[in-house]
Amino acid sequence: MLIPHPLLGLRDSQEFTYLGDASLMQRPDASLDNAEAAFCDYVFLRDNPAGVHRELWFHEQGDRSWLVVTRDTTTHEILGAELASDVKGAAK
Amino acid sequence: MLDHVTDLTPITALGAASPRTESFGALTISENAGLGLASLALRKGQSAPQPFGLPLPCVGKAVSMGAYAAFWTGRDQWMIEATGKAEVDFAAMLKSEAPECSVTEQTDGFTAFEIASSQGAAPIEALMRKLVNIDPKAFGPGQATRTGLEHMTVFLIRRADDRLAVIGMRTLAGSLWHALAVAARRLED
Repeated sequence: MLIPHPLLGLRDSQEFTYLGDASLMQRPDASLDNAEAAFCDYVFLRDNPAGVHRELWFHEQGDRSWLVVTRDTTTHEILGAELASDVKGAAK
Repeated sequence: MLDHVTDLTPITALGAASPRTESFGALTISENAGLGLASLALRKGQSAPQPFGLPLPCVGKAVSMGAYAAFWTGRDQWMIEATGKAEVDFAAMLKSEAPECSVTEQTDGFTAFEIASSQGAAPIEALMRKLVNIDPKAFGPGQATRTGLEHMTVFLIRRADDRLAVIGMRTLAGSLWHALAVAARRLED
């Protein structure tokens, strides 16, 4: 399987390690009153969609960048990859 | 007491008193024990300096100028190479060239093997096809990347059509040499 790295082009998936759902980038605000419940959900609850899923991949044997990879969980087709730092920057 | 210190014999990453060189048909692999390495990273908002006059390369590229060279390792990060500077504090030299940037000594963390071909690009490309999942045709002179090689992480630098450098973790020097040597020997058949 090849991952279309936004900077480096197609790269062997073995160079990457997988972290999980890209929603992990939205860490709850620890200063809010409901922080404990929000962190409980953040740590333990995940959607498990059959279909398009956005997930965090780390280019460990590469440029050490974090990517947001969009993958179809039913076909394993990779639909796209963005730098997580760009995704985070665009969200601000 | 201090007299004993002078009895110590420096050894290379492969454990010998002098660097190893071995030839397999058109390919010669040489341990480059003299290569000084230091990494350079920009802090937020900084623009790239020109240490030792080197214009720092963009994504996936390498540049060289005299005894110094640099290759891209990540966004706003480079590895700087210095021929014959393994036994001096090269990181301090680099830091004085780029005092605002983050500089880390890397010589002791890595070992460099230089592969030279006596028959042009073909043997280098054949070796790459055996060892790494990087398209050798798209990896011409001036290209550099990090990838996996037999479960080890390595930097590859295409120094010329007929030259490839493989820089791997120093503690795995023996395994990396073995991987390169076995692949090169099989190409002889």
